[in-house]
Amino acid sequence: MTQPFELNTTISNLRDLHASDLSLYDAIYLGNITCRLYEANLLEHLGDLRDAIATVKAHGLKAYVTSYAAPRNDFLPKLAKAMAVAVEAGADAVEVHNLGVLKIVHEAHPGLPIHVGGFANVYTDAGAEVLKQFGAVRITPNYELSLEEIGQIHRQVGLPMELLVHGKMPLGISDHCFLLEYEEAWGMKCPDLCQQDLFLKQGDWAMKSVGKGVLSGKDVCMLEHLPRLVGEGNTRFRIETVSESPEYRLEVGRVYREALERAFAGTDGVEERWWTTLRRHARIGLCNGFYFGRSGMEYLGVRPDAVASALRRPVAETTDYQAQGAIR
Amino acid sequence: MIELLAPAGNVAMVTEAVKNGANAIYVGPRGWSRRRDAFEMDDATVRESIRIAHEGGAKLRVAFNTNMQSKEIPDLLRRMETFVGYGADGAIMTDIGAIEVVHRYFPGLTIHASIGANILNNADVAFYREIGVSQVVADTKLTLKELASRKEQLDVGIEILIHANYCYTYLGKCWMSPYHRLERTTDDAGKDLFKGSPNRGGLDYRVCLEAWQLYSGDIKLEDHVALKNDAFFLLEDIPHLIDMGVHCLKVQGREYAVPLVGAIVKFYRDLIDAYETHPKCERFDLEPWKTRLAMIQADRDAQRSKGTQTLLEEARIPVGAIRSR
Repeated sequence: MTQPFELNTTISNLRDLHASDLSLYDAIYLGNITCRLYEANLLEHLGDLRDAIATVKAHGLKAYVTSYAAPRNDFLPKLAKAMAVAVEAGADAVEVHNLGVLKIVHEAHPGLPIHVGGFANVYTDAGAEVLKQFGAVRITPNYELSLEEIGQIHRQVGLPMELLVHGKMPLGISDHCFLLEYEEAWGMKCPDLCQQDLFLKQGDWAMKSVGKGVLSGKDVCMLEHLPRLVGEGNTRFRIETVSESPEYRLEVGRVYREALERAFAGTDGVEERWWTTLRRHARIGLCNGFYFGRSGMEYLGVRPDAVASALRRPVAETTDYQAQGAIR
Repeated sequence: MIELLAPAGNVAMVTEAVKNGANAIYVGPRGWSRRRDAFEMDDATVRESIRIAHEGGAKLRVAFNTNMQSKEIPDLLRRMETFVGYGADGAIMTDIGAIEVVHRYFPGLTIHASIGANILNNADVAFYREIGVSQVVADTKLTLKELASRKEQLDVGIEILIHANYCYTYLGKCWMSPYHRLERTTDDAGKDLFKGSPNRGGLDYRVCLEAWQLYSGDIKLEDHVALKNDAFFLLEDIPHLIDMGVHCLKVQGREYAVPLVGAIVKFYRDLIDAYETHPKCERFDLEPWKTRLAMIQADRDAQRSKGTQTLLEEARIPVGAIRSR
């Protein structure tokens, strides 16, 4: 029987790939979308990319090759080569965030399945229709969209929508890595700088920094909303682990694998041990992103106590989670 | 001749910009452009702005440059029909679906891809050309070399921002502001407003300008991290941009006071005219222009700094606790 859903994640380099237990996932996105200098980025090391595709496929998983979120002209020749390697090595699809790259890939490899990434800014069904004509077979809508808006695009266009169900949500991409300013002071060079677990904080605000990329400080968590996502016809789910450890990749993946199997079986319930795992890995806290039409750092759950307990605060004291900074 | 494109957040600003030599003006219909609604216009005001611009020999573009919702596309087409009927000379747009649809229904309308489209490379330009765009705003981070390559390779009009701020992130690829505060409201006409999300037409709280501290785990590494966000004016580049054949120089600032916008437009009008008429065999001396710009810049920086402080304070207020603006 064919599995009714796909759970996937992201890995930037061979080191992370070899250190990770991939058994909880159905597909892996290969490459780092933020920076060409990211440690051994598979998009820049094409021999490694071939090995990575082979490794993923040897595990019986689908191999997807991602691409840069903000490529300038000088990125394009190498990126075109990476896409060609993806095709030669048998990648099952490529992910594209830039519309120029979409055009290049579609023209060079007609018929190649293209997944449109979150930085491509798909906000409307009309936009998704345009991308369909350029070979898009799957779309990650812009992260700002609510579930209601995503549902409308899905129903109107008929393409599967890929949803970030857990992990740090991309918030922005820059051409400038401010961490480079600290090389001397920290005695550390690129590409090691962004390998630290770095957070920009001010009061109860926090964002994770990966150099040129900015991610949410809190982990998006849709665990208790999976039955709704499934009920609305969603089948492609991503756990964003690009800046996380192999342990995170394994343990959070295990929670969602079990939870999705239960949701697709129509069985209700969230295990306490799942919350324990997610709380342990969420260093700043949990949020729902923009799925409910609210500020991205808010958490709206039917079990807010599960989130509040992560902070060892009594639920009764946390009537307004955001205002009280309770979901840190 | 290169076009000077000026912002206008109200009728007085349209009048001031036209009087001071703008070749074209852009305005935003309420709820549909990348500014807070205080600097947008109702339909009657857009119509009046078109009249003033045309009487002064200038063009007027209407900015529909939000990433709107799917359900809003029919309303977008109705609004576009209205403004085309008023005589609007072009539309500034971001959403690729909206661009394709508007181009299909109004094939004679000039569509400009907004800064929010974040057009970064020549293949991007080709993509937007294919769906109906004839002029693009270059991203603020592009180099002169990249712009030159674009002009040489592609038959497309290029607009360059000459008086604005570099954001830390690429414009259009940032949702830091709504991550921290997003307030959804509906205006009297039933238009959804997304206060806090610049991509969706609301104001930007500029949270990137917060005095961030940098931590690794629980260890504070740096007490004050300033994410790069500099004003730029490209003064020394303007002669090169004109020589390069760039189509349009664009000034931002619908939120500034009317006299400041007037001063900015007059400065660039005078500069462009002086450069275009000076003998090409002689060196063009920019020093006096630098002195004059410094005075405008001080006023502009003060207004922007005050605005940033207000926005950051507002971003900390719980949603629902303040009346929507």
